[in-house]
Amino acid sequence: MPGTNLIVPVVLWGKYAPTHCISSVYLSRDQKTLVTGCYDGQVCIWQVEPETLKMTPRCLLVGHTAPVTCISRASIIQDNNFIVTSSEAGEMCTWDLVDGKCRESVKITQVHTNIQAYHMCNSEDLRLFCNGYYAEILIMDPFSLELMFSLSSKMNPDWISALHVLRPSSRKDDVVLAISITGTVKVWSLLGHENKQSEPIYENESKQIRCLNALSLNCCAHNQRTVLIVCAKYCQIYDAGDFSVLCSITAPAGERWMSGDFMATDRVLVWSTEGKGYLYKLPANSVPDHKGFHGPTVAHDSPVLYGMLAHPDNKLLSCPPAMRLVATSSGGKQRRLLLRGDSHGVVSLWSVDDSAPLTQTVLTHAPLVTTSLDAAWAAMAPRPVGVLDQMHAPDEPEIKLTACIYLLAANRLVVGRDDGSIVIVNATHTVQLHLLHGTHQQLHDWPPHQLLLGHNGRVNCLLYPHHVHPRYDKSYLVSGGIDFAVCLWELYSGVLLHRFCVHGGEITQLSVPPPDCSPRIQKCICSVASDHSVTLLSLSERKCVTLASRHLFPVVTIKWRAADDFMVVATCDGAAYVWQMETAHLDRVLTGMMAEEVLAACDATAADELGGALAELQAGQANPALHFFRGLRHRNLNAMLTATQRGLQALQGGGGAGGGPGPLSEPAHSRRAPLTVQGFRANPKGKVPIIFEHGPKRGLQALQGGGGAGGGPGPLSEPAHSRRAPLTVQGFRANPKGNVFTDGS
Amino acid sequence: MCDNEKEEAANLKEEFEWVLREEVHSILHQLHTVLVECAHRFPVPLYGNEGQKQDKFILTSQPEQLKCIVTLTGDSITHADISFKVLRQMHTICRTSINQDGPWKLQQIQDAANHLQQAIGYIDNVDKHYVFRSSDEVLHIIQCLLGSLQRARTALVLPKKKAIDELMKSRNMKALSPNLPEDLAISFYIQSHKLIFVAYQLSSVHGTMRIDSCQADCAVPWLSDVLYMLTASLHMCQQLKDKLCVFSQYKDFTVGSRSASMVFN
Repeated sequence: MPGTNLIVPVVLWGKYAPTHCISSVYLSRDQKTLVTGCYDGQVCIWQVEPETLKMTPRCLLVGHTAPVTCISRASIIQDNNFIVTSSEAGEMCTWDLVDGKCRESVKITQVHTNIQAYHMCNSEDLRLFCNGYYAEILIMDPFSLELMFSLSSKMNPDWISALHVLRPSSRKDDVVLAISITGTVKVWSLLGHENKQSEPIYENESKQIRCLNALSLNCCAHNQRTVLIVCAKYCQIYDAGDFSVLCSITAPAGERWMSGDFMATDRVLVWSTEGKGYLYKLPANSVPDHKGFHGPTVAHDSPVLYGMLAHPDNKLLSCPPAMRLVATSSGGKQRRLLLRGDSHGVVSLWSVDDSAPLTQTVLTHAPLVTTSLDAAWAAMAPRPVGVLDQMHAPDEPEIKLTACIYLLAANRLVVGRDDGSIVIVNATHTVQLHLLHGTHQQLHDWPPHQLLLGHNGRVNCLLYPHHVHPRYDKSYLVSGGIDFAVCLWELYSGVLLHRFCVHGGEITQLSVPPPDCSPRIQKCICSVASDHSVTLLSLSERKCVTLASRHLFPVVTIKWRAADDFMVVATCDGAAYVWQMETAHLDRVLTGMMAEEVLAACDATAADELGGALAELQAGQANPALHFFRGLRHRNLNAMLTATQRGLQALQGGGGAGGGPGPLSEPAHSRRAPLTVQGFRANPKGKVPIIFEHGPKRGLQALQGGGGAGGGPGPLSEPAHSRRAPLTVQGFRANPKGNVFTDGS
Repeated sequence: MCDNEKEEAANLKEEFEWVLREEVHSILHQLHTVLVECAHRFPVPLYGNEGQKQDKFILTSQPEQLKCIVTLTGDSITHADISFKVLRQMHTICRTSINQDGPWKLQQIQDAANHLQQAIGYIDNVDKHYVFRSSDEVLHIIQCLLGSLQRARTALVLPKKKAIDELMKSRNMKALSPNLPEDLAISFYIQSHKLIFVAYQLSSVHGTMRIDSCQADCAVPWLSDVLYMLTASLHMCQQLKDKLCVFSQYKDFTVGSRSASMVFN
């Protein structure tokens, strides 16, 4: 029965849009879909009206853990709704634009900086031509994300900094033109039957030119004779015949070129790091149709700037915007648009064809359309609801929500805010208030809330240790703030029991040590601060047991070797610090391969221990997941089958068994919960939109039941949330520890 | 807000402006010096470095299992005499060599050098007289720098894992003369400051493939220097980032929010 497992996520975005510092942009050929990727790894899909170019954000895709560097279409078919994204961490995903689901994802060791989708001869659909931090050109399939084949270099093999695939007009095969970062231009001819098994495919020709660190390379589509190569300081037109320089354009003072392309045989558009486009008319010696082609540079005939594409307001940007020239065709009308997405999440579009060189003066063109997430939020009436909107008067500025946890058993939502206050509300009541119409909405000061005041400034993280392990007191709530303090609260009375002031920086993470630590450590929680220190704070003794503070780099994760009394702190530079928990003695600092191995070993022992814990539950059988992988390793199908069956049994039985401490009972438990709530943080400094996930049937029942128990509100009408949510969130599991925001099962 | 707090906030603001105006440029300059020095240790042409230095190394493992004399020119092994005992057949000794025509390229060195070059490029892009107006601007540059330096270091410290059949098919393996028998493979790679040589032997035990290996290593002096400088510059970057993050608690701080004369003098 599919209905019972269906989870409907609802996002309460709040009055203000999430931050979206754009790192890459893409517009579909039919002008219907705009996609922006940002430095925090999210991808936003915008619906575009092809006629008016009005853009509305529709979907936020979550999954990449690093800046999104490339976005490409996946198919030649016009209304095929798939795109491929690639991030700086080597993750690649194929997304379905219709429902926002991730269809395929891989993580590869080669990180791409550029992808060109190209329809090769002898292939039914597009292939992705990728270059990046590696010496080859990789050709990948956009749907399976598998490597089809790769192109290697014989002469001066080095990273490829730009490439252009094209089909010469006189030939049937495809040609890859590329330039390495040290300035070797290379040409590969493809016949269409290349594959992974074939011998290495080397370049057919190569030539060293004086051009280091090129950013883009484009062959003129009209004559295929001239090539535009853009470097940061200058861009140059080359003759494709012998790769000699025809003319050169220096970047304006204080700006660097980013990329460019031909507009016509005699015109180019280049854009700069300031987010401006510059249109130049080329001199006669750079235009193949002209009789002076390939002649010497003449003093009076140099490239002429005839148009600029710029924003009228020169708003300060924190990084160069992402820009891209796209050719579209909509309603039989072909046109070229320059796209720009900047650090404020502002998207602008210029029509390039309108700006023909007419006069001697330089015309500055303003964008056709400009929009942003902020603008989309501002245009919403009423504004997207936030989870604590009831606490503000409509004209008051909203206090940003900065942390959130959901206490399942008590059905309470604990929210930390920017001003240091922590608000506790009944989760069902809150959902009712914002998403369901009813008389309860007229009630003043409903639902009742509890306010914990103790932090001086932003609350960064919250922890309810009892959720993780029942050994902790049910009434303890722990919070960490920007004021360097960790606060211990008595949840029911709202009393501040203790304030731990041991860190030298704002608190960034709170977690719980595993249950097999020594009895003293078992009563502790673990906190991490921005001064890179880690502490174990004893909730019963009300003091710091261990201060581990010699880390040079930010702490990424903490792993445990409880049996040896070791806490292993992994920092972002790849080092592992091994601390003795009881004595706070720094046992070892490991780097490189050793660090990797020790961290992996911690995972293995943890898995074994979890397996052991489950074994108690399941009459001496080890963790089915481990069995499954053992079976996989030894190619033992029977073992895999039994392990799967046992795993399924454990999943089904786990919740019914009353939520024991086994590793599988926890997810099973939360899956069965009618309502779960998650905070979703786009950016460490950003605010936290809150995601409610509830089964449509039981979730609503819970809502109605909750309402009845509250005694306040009367009958409930239809949920109205579909109208109010401006954006939906879709996610996939980027790594085993990542959060999944939706579950379509 | 009482007077003390106001004064503290004003002082912090002044400090913040000083960091943006003076400290950021001075640290970027220091970083630049360290990174250029680091680039000059590389044996390949890099950032005004002449390049193509040559080194000779001898790699042996203890019980005379294998011996390898290597000439490292730039990022490639241009010459090597390799001999190792085949496992479980103690009397067979396998010999092969690498020569000028088919050098064994250590891609890790080129990758590290390119990442380093990219990092220096980020600093070169900042004009010495540029006036930073927000911490976000600086943080973006630092984030790019940290990324490149981290990748440069990782390229040397964590060699990429390769499947054995991928290694067997690789261009490097095919350039050996004489070619190795089908069940043998060798590999050279960098791990931290060491050059490592491994000989693999494939065998089939009860239908499953089994890989035996033996390895030898030697220290490469310039790699220790390079790693040291990369680590030091990563640390400098991180400290600058931490410094700026302290101020980012005060979100309303932007240069110019006080008085313009303070900023542009």
